[in-house]
Amino acid sequence: MSATILTPPATPRRVRRGPSADMLRLLMVLALILAIIVVGAVVTDRFMRPENFANVFEQATDLALVALGQSLTVLTGGIDLSVGSMISLLSVLTSGLIDGNSAMVLPVCLGILAGGTLLGVLNGCGVVWLRVHPLIVTLGMGAILQGVALLYTRAPIGSIPDGFDSLAYGRVAGISVGGAATALIFVLVAAFLRYTNTGRTIYAVGDDSQAARLLGMPVRRVILLVYGASGFFAAVTAIYLVSRFGSGQPYAGADYTLASVTPVVVGGIALSGGRGSIFGTLLGAYLLAILNDLLNFLHVPTQIQLVAEGLIIMAAVSIHVERGRRS
Amino acid sequence: MNGSLLAKARGVGAAKAPLAGRIMPPGFTSLLSRYGIYLFMVVFLLVAAVAAPSFFSRGNLSNLVLQIVPLAIVACGQAMVILVRGLDLSVSSVMATAAVVATSFSGHDADIPSIVLLSLAIGMCAGLVNGLLVVKRNVSPFLATLATMIVLQGLRFAWTHGAPSGLMPPLLHRIGAGTWGFIPMNLPVLLAVALPLVLVLHRTTLGRRVVITGGNPMTGRLLGYPVDAIVIGAYMLSGCLAAIAGIVLGGYAQIVDNWVGRGFELDSIVAAVLGGFALSGGRGNVAGVIAGSIVLALAGNIVLLIGLPVQFQIILKGVVIVFAAACYARR
Repeated sequence: MSATILTPPATPRRVRRGPSADMLRLLMVLALILAIIVVGAVVTDRFMRPENFANVFEQATDLALVALGQSLTVLTGGIDLSVGSMISLLSVLTSGLIDGNSAMVLPVCLGILAGGTLLGVLNGCGVVWLRVHPLIVTLGMGAILQGVALLYTRAPIGSIPDGFDSLAYGRVAGISVGGAATALIFVLVAAFLRYTNTGRTIYAVGDDSQAARLLGMPVRRVILLVYGASGFFAAVTAIYLVSRFGSGQPYAGADYTLASVTPVVVGGIALSGGRGSIFGTLLGAYLLAILNDLLNFLHVPTQIQLVAEGLIIMAAVSIHVERGRRS
Repeated sequence: MNGSLLAKARGVGAAKAPLAGRIMPPGFTSLLSRYGIYLFMVVFLLVAAVAAPSFFSRGNLSNLVLQIVPLAIVACGQAMVILVRGLDLSVSSVMATAAVVATSFSGHDADIPSIVLLSLAIGMCAGLVNGLLVVKRNVSPFLATLATMIVLQGLRFAWTHGAPSGLMPPLLHRIGAGTWGFIPMNLPVLLAVALPLVLVLHRTTLGRRVVITGGNPMTGRLLGYPVDAIVIGAYMLSGCLAAIAGIVLGGYAQIVDNWVGRGFELDSIVAAVLGGFALSGGRGNVAGVIAGSIVLALAGNIVLLIGLPVQFQIILKGVVIVFAAACYARR
């Protein structure tokens, strides 16, 4: 531990010899993606069409967005299990308040983004001031939000004006606009994590929050920031899902709570915090999307798809043995 | 209880030493953190008594216990996993699988031995996979058990083709939903699970070793305990108890779908944490877990008795989780 305090903790852990552990993990996920592509190319010739890849790129968007927020909380050694309920609540609010009126789109979306951020910050407050484990705080918050969503409506509600669905389905030169925007957001967040003080403090807090505090880093503010960010990206996902489905549903987000953690960890961010790259999360989301795509091509029944997904997760997370333990 | 031993053990190889909770003289805070859940339980019972006199009717009470027992059984297993610094998200999937297995036979009482054996075997296999992934491959428990949960889900759906058919054998239905007078018949199942667990964990060397290993695995290793076996054993026990709970809960409903036990993975974690098990491992006692399960169930029951819309059940549950944890389950 004392070594951690003496070396600058803001630097993400790097192995000097050879490629870094982060890089190895990225290469591994890429290799898995390539393997799936090869299998797809062998099994069906339609798999290699550009349209198929464009579809996968589009379909990964929602998961990538939630997982981005989740990555930030996990990097600080926390977790946000309220994202699913938050997406549910915010999606019914989005479509319920817009209700087909195009004049309402902008104010409602801004309000939803602000609301999501605020709820996330509230999570952060629970973690910081109540000093309760993030898992419990966000779980409790998730239950409350799900209840409120069901109080608001118990069935799909509202509708969206014409053109709002272009957020989810819009394409320029065959490439999904939403997907491209998401990739761009990842680049921006990665730059933020890499090149700003606050970004590096996020890694430091996750690596050893005690040491970070002793070094005078604003640990509490950073924790508020990451949970706020997680709430913000949950709000973005909610709006995106409304755009995709045309209405909000009170259980729209239920599956995202646990699903959002999968790409994060498959991509190499340690649940103990402080290590891993945000691009791993993006690749993790692409991996899951392309796996689903391949299994659909193979006409694999949904049941077996679940089994395959579980096995891929097991394989991906158990390949790097030495990553888990600190020396 | 074993504070001094733990403190010594932590001193050996401890990197971070979260000693505060144990070394402190038994002042108000530490009393609250140890007995807070019982306080909470009593307050809830009083609230229920004042708000809705019908709460203490025999019918409501025995029905409440019938609902608490499956959760308490799962939570006991979950608590053992949390004790060794893990989490088990696969319990709900194991529960549903056990219940589905139980309905896949002819529905006569003669099937019960095979049902129980097969379910327990499935639960323990799931636990074994979890444990091996965590211990041998160093996968984080959250993800290892999540993957097991998904795989089991898929296998279950493949096995049932989406819709389980058949009924629970009558005897299992009676155990899950019946009462002797006003004593719920599933209560003995909980006692049969919890009492040995209490005795082993809090009164034997093995139990102490588990607690020490959970508090600091390195210490356990230095003291020569079979750390890997202890951790794997905890996961297998959790899978086993989840299978038992699945059969009991399936018996309560009698007609089983693919989602028996949905939500129990998170509820059981909450019950264990409310009961005083720290997610950082090495702390907690089994009686608290049962009290935690009772508090969770009470939160739902009170809402219905007061006559609030059913959605308030989840909201109140969320409030209770955060508030109770903030009161006495701080990190």
